[in-house]
Amino acid sequence: MQGSVSSRRSMQAISMRGLLLRSLKHKPGRIAAAVLGLTVSAAIATAMLTLSLDITEKLHHEFRSFGANVVVTTADKTAFPEDALVKIQSAGGSDAVAAPFAYAVMKTDRGTDVVVAGTDFGAVKKLDSWWQLTAWPTAQNDSLLGEKASQFIRNQSDVKLSYDGRTLLLHSIGQLRTGGEEESRIYVSLPTLESFAHVAPSVIEVRVGGDAAAVEAAAARMRESLPGLTVTPVRQLVDSESRIVGRMRALLLASVVLIALTVGVAVLATMSSSVLERRRDFALMHALGSRRNQILLLFVAEAMAIAFVGVVAGYLLGSLAAWGIGELNFHTATLPRASVLPVVFVMNLLIAFVAAMLPARALRALQPAALLRGE
Amino acid sequence: MFVRLLWESFRRQKRRKALAGVAILMGVTVVTSMLALATSIGDRIHKELESYGANIVVTPLAETLQVNIGGVSVKPTTGGVGLRESDLAKLKTIFWANNINGLSPELPLSLHVGETTVPAVGMWFAPKNGKAAAVAMHPWWKLNGAWPAKDDEVVVGSSLAAKLGLKTGSTVGAMRVVGMVTTGDETDGQVLMPLSAAQALAGTPGAVGRVLVGARTRPEDAFARENPDTLSPKKKELWYCRPYANSIAYQIAEAIPGARAEQIRKVEQSQGQVLRRISGLMWLIGLGALIAAGFAVSAAMATAVLERRGEIGLMRSLGASRGRIAALFYTESALLATIGGCFGFLLGSLLAAWMGRRIFEDAAGGLLVNLALLPAVVGVAVLVAFAGSTPSIRSALRMDPSATLRAGA
Repeated sequence: MQGSVSSRRSMQAISMRGLLLRSLKHKPGRIAAAVLGLTVSAAIATAMLTLSLDITEKLHHEFRSFGANVVVTTADKTAFPEDALVKIQSAGGSDAVAAPFAYAVMKTDRGTDVVVAGTDFGAVKKLDSWWQLTAWPTAQNDSLLGEKASQFIRNQSDVKLSYDGRTLLLHSIGQLRTGGEEESRIYVSLPTLESFAHVAPSVIEVRVGGDAAAVEAAAARMRESLPGLTVTPVRQLVDSESRIVGRMRALLLASVVLIALTVGVAVLATMSSSVLERRRDFALMHALGSRRNQILLLFVAEAMAIAFVGVVAGYLLGSLAAWGIGELNFHTATLPRASVLPVVFVMNLLIAFVAAMLPARALRALQPAALLRGE
Repeated sequence: MFVRLLWESFRRQKRRKALAGVAILMGVTVVTSMLALATSIGDRIHKELESYGANIVVTPLAETLQVNIGGVSVKPTTGGVGLRESDLAKLKTIFWANNINGLSPELPLSLHVGETTVPAVGMWFAPKNGKAAAVAMHPWWKLNGAWPAKDDEVVVGSSLAAKLGLKTGSTVGAMRVVGMVTTGDETDGQVLMPLSAAQALAGTPGAVGRVLVGARTRPEDAFARENPDTLSPKKKELWYCRPYANSIAYQIAEAIPGARAEQIRKVEQSQGQVLRRISGLMWLIGLGALIAAGFAVSAAMATAVLERRGEIGLMRSLGASRGRIAALFYTESALLATIGGCFGFLLGSLLAAWMGRRIFEDAAGGLLVNLALLPAVVGVAVLVAFAGSTPSIRSALRMDPSATLRAGA
C-alpha cells in the first residue's frame, strides 16, 4: 500500500509534464484543428475589437468634410488679438483646422453691393471641401465668384470692385456653388483684402475633431484663452455627428459579440469532441491508477496550451486584418492595440476551459473496464 | 432502410446533432442579421443626416444680392421678394412631391426696437398640411418657453435677448416675447415671428423671401451631379426620376415660376463619402461574419462525421457501398443545414430588427430581410455544410473498416 502510493506520486511527478508533451505530439492533426479553431476565434475577436476601439476616431475623421463645427467671433467690430488664430489652433488640438474670414462690402461694375470675403484658402480647402468649384485660387489676385454674385458682375474675367473711391482689380478663376449664402459673395485671399480695404478678420471658423463633449471642451478652452470673444459650437453638426458615431460604435460592438459567440460555439464543438474521442485514453489512465481529476487536469492543461498558441497567432492575424480593413475602407492605418490582448486572451482561455470541462460528466460516468473491453 | 437510418441517426444522437445544429443556426443568424444591417445601414445613416435639416433652398430668381455678414444683413432688405406663399401649393404637383416632408417658408425683415434695428424672420412654426415646418426642420433649436401661436407673439434668439435685455413676457414693439431660442447659428441674433405677422409688418401680404425644403433623397453619386440639360433625353429621364436632391431641386424650379432651387451642398455633398465608408465597414463586417459562420458550420460538421468513424466502419463491413454511406451523411448535413438555416434566418431577421430598433431607434422596426433571400441563405448554409463535412467523410471512407472498428470502440 505504502509502495503503491509513493510510486503513484513519482509517476505523477514525471507524468504531468511528460504526458502533456507526449499527448500534444501524439495526434498532430487533432491538435492542429483545435489550434486553427482558436486562432480563427482569437483573430476575429482581435480584429473586431481593434476596429471598434478605432471607429470613433475614424468616423470623426470622415465627418471633417462637413465643415466647421465651432465659430469664433469678436464682439462688435473689434479686431481679433494678434495671436488669436494660434491660440485657437492650440486650444482646438493638433488636428484642428481654423480659417479666418474678413468681410467688406464693395460695389460691382453694375453698381450692386456685394460682400467680399477675405480668407486663407489653404485652410478653407480643408475646412469646406464640399464647396463646388473648378479650381482653388493660388495667386494673389485670384478670386472665387459666388454663383449668385456673378450675376451682378458684367465683366467676369477681370472683376472690378470699387470701395471707398478706389478700385480693386481681381482675376476670377471660377464660380462657387454651395447652396448657401457663400454664393452671394466674392472670395479673395485675406492679405489682398486686408491691404486693400484695411479690414481685419471678424470670424474664425474652426473644425475640431471628436464628439460633442470634445467639441464643448475645446470651445471652453478657447473661451478661457481668449476672453471677450464669442465661441459658438455649431450644434446642428455636433449633435448629429456624435449620434451617428455613437450608433456605429454600438453596432460594431454588438457585431463583435455575435461573431465571437458563433466562433466560440464552433471551437467548443471541435474541442469537446476531441476530448470525448479520447475516452480510451481516459479509461486506460484511470485503470492504471490516475485519479479522474488528474486526468481532467491533463485535458484542461492541454486545452490551455492550445488556446495560448491560438491567441498569440490569432492576435497577430487579427491585428493584420484590422489594419487591412482600415486601409481598405478608411485609407488610414488601424494600428494594433495591446489593450485588446487581455480580453481576447481571457475569452479564448475560457472557451478552451469550457471545451475541456464540458465532457467531464460524460467521462465520469464511464466504466473503465467496460470501455477497455470494447463496449 | 435509408430513411430509417436517417431517422435513427437523428433520434439517437441528439447531443451531436444539437451541437452541429446550433453551430449552423448561429452562423446563419449572424450572417442574416449582418447582411440585413449592411444593406440598410446607408439608408439609416442617411436618415440620421437628414436631421441636419433642410436639404434644398428655394430663392427668388431675380433677387437682389444679399449683403449678409454672419447672418446679419448689412443693408436692410428692401423689396426683392419674388416668391409667393400661394406658389408653395405647386410643390404638390412635382414628380417627387411625396418625398417632400418639410417646408419652411421664411420672410426676413428689419424690426425697429426702440432706437435699434434688429433682424427678424417670419416663418411657420407648426406643421402645415402634414409637412414639417420650421421647428421640426431645426431639431437642434433649443427653446425655453413656447413657440408663437398667435400673430402678436414672438420668440427671441438668445444672444439678441441678452443684448437687449429681453425676457419671456417682455415686449418687442407691439409683440410679446413668449420664448427664447438657442440655435448655435445666426438665428441666435434674430427675432422669430409667425409668417403672417411678418408679412403684415413688412407690408407685403403673401410674400416669402426663401423656402427651406426638407426632402427624402437618395445619397448623391456621380450621376446625380450631371447637368440634366446636357444629358441625352433618355438619361435625363432617368436622372429626373431618381430622388436626388439635385433632381428634386430641378423639379421645384420648374414648378414655381421665378424661383431658383438649389440643393444645400454642405449636407448632400459631404454625406456621400461618410455613407460609403460606413456601409463599406458594415459589408466588411458582414464578410467577417460569413467567414466566421462558414468556419463554425464546417467545423461542427467535420466533428459530427469524425465522431462516427466507428459507425462508418460498421456499415462498410456490413456491405454498404461508399456511395450509400456518403449519401446518408450528406442527407443528414443537408437536413441539419436546412432546418438550422430556416430558423437562423428567422432569428437573424428578428435580431436585425431588434438591433435596428435599439441602436437606431426606428419607429417601424418590421422584418428587414427580404423573404426572397431565404432560399439563397439556406442554399449557402447547405453548401457550407457539405464543404465542411466532405473532408472528414472522405477520410472516414478511405479508412480500412477493420482498423476503424478496432480503434473506434
